[in-house]
Amino acid sequence: MTTPNGTAALVAEDIHKHFGSLEVLKGISLTAEREDVISIIGASGSGKSTFLRCINFLETPDAGRIVVGGEEIRIKQNRLGQPMIGDHGQLSRIRSKLGMVFQSFNLWSHMTVLQNVMEGPLTVLRHPKQEVHDRAVDLLEKVGIAEKRHGYPVELSGGQQQRVAIARALCMQPQVLLFDEPTSALDPELVGEVLKVMRDLAAEGRTMIVVTHEMGFAREVSSRVLFLADGRVEEENSPAELFGNPQSERCRRFLASAL
Amino acid sequence: MDLSLLAWGDAGWGDQMARGAVVTLLVAIAAYALGIVIGAGLAAMKLSAVPPLRWFAEAYTTVVRGIPELLVIYLVFFGGGTALRAIASGMFGYEGYFDLPIFLTGTICLAISAGAYSAEVIRGAVQVVPKGQLEAATAVGMNGSQRFWRVLVPQVARFALPGLGNVWQFTLKDTSLISVIGLVEIMRQAAIAAGSTKEPFTFYLVAALLYLGLTSLSNRGFDQAERWANKGVRRA
Repeated sequence: MTTPNGTAALVAEDIHKHFGSLEVLKGISLTAEREDVISIIGASGSGKSTFLRCINFLETPDAGRIVVGGEEIRIKQNRLGQPMIGDHGQLSRIRSKLGMVFQSFNLWSHMTVLQNVMEGPLTVLRHPKQEVHDRAVDLLEKVGIAEKRHGYPVELSGGQQQRVAIARALCMQPQVLLFDEPTSALDPELVGEVLKVMRDLAAEGRTMIVVTHEMGFAREVSSRVLFLADGRVEEENSPAELFGNPQSERCRRFLASAL
Repeated sequence: MDLSLLAWGDAGWGDQMARGAVVTLLVAIAAYALGIVIGAGLAAMKLSAVPPLRWFAEAYTTVVRGIPELLVIYLVFFGGGTALRAIASGMFGYEGYFDLPIFLTGTICLAISAGAYSAEVIRGAVQVVPKGQLEAATAVGMNGSQRFWRVLVPQVARFALPGLGNVWQFTLKDTSLISVIGLVEIMRQAAIAAGSTKEPFTFYLVAALLYLGLTSLSNRGFDQAERWANKGVRRA
């Protein structure tokens, strides 16, 4: 692996991870330049969600490096030689630049929609309240849910909750957005409204890493697509090439079953 | 029944009974507050990754819930006094007889039980907070204490509220057991008045009404709190 480009929005280098005796990631690398939209596809169990969770250290990788905007996440080793978070303050700061959207939304159920969106900027970034409020309302308007801002998450449909979750991530003014199968928990008729928001974000030049089963989205919106199999990047290419002319047998079989 | 027995001032027992009710309420509040602190600590131990902490908390709740409340009071009262006198004579050479202040003893006795019961309630509440919500807090860049105070505690408080309401209810009623060590609360005061007037039924009936008043008022308080807390938990 060559030295990563210091100006890349995000570099993940040779990420390894195992759970017990199961080796889930066997050395995955990815570089996202600014405004890249990178889709990660693959069968369930291929490690794509685990890889995404390693990027912001929801899972601590066993080996490898994560560099966000030129700053590498510090790691130290415990007495057993296992990697641990090296500097919690630094990690929190870097996490705040990586907006994450989860499969199961994970909105805070004791807060209203507006409070959910404002919480991170107020508590973590300590931005002024009025400024955060205005930004939150703008973002909720943008994702089409401003009129529900005083409601609670439980009162919203899945698609609405996921749009709130996207607004929550955006309100942190992140440098990179991480999407972990954002439409997989939604009823089919609600998938479209979330994908539309994501397409809009891509169109305005957001840097996005998207783990997805939505092949249409991956094909039409991505600048690059990674196909993962058995914890490795089996194939990486432009969407036109990867979908139009897959090189590996596994990728061909996966696409044949997915499309 | 002679209601003049309940007159205020020297002529009757009304003011003494009212004072007893205040003592009952104060000891219950003090014991409940301390009990929740103990319960939160025990719940943290039960959920801890360190086995000896888990064993200690399990042993504590098993023992305290397994023996009668009255026995806990005797053990603390006599054991605590003996221990304190031993310390006083061993360390300070003081050989006189003294006891723990009874309000403090009563508070500690009830808090020991309230702690054991609220530990289970709080542990259960922590376990039903969706892990994903804590993960979302981590992902947004919150540190441990921000996650704890902004996401975990508000939700645990909501889930634990019904169970903690029960703990309050029986802590309040169990204050009557404290009368055995001489704290003049409702029960003790009723016994004193009954003995001196030979009208036991009147005074125990008054005691019952006082307890009923306290429990129904506090029930209403907990109901209000639950309605407020359930805003985001159930459909409005």
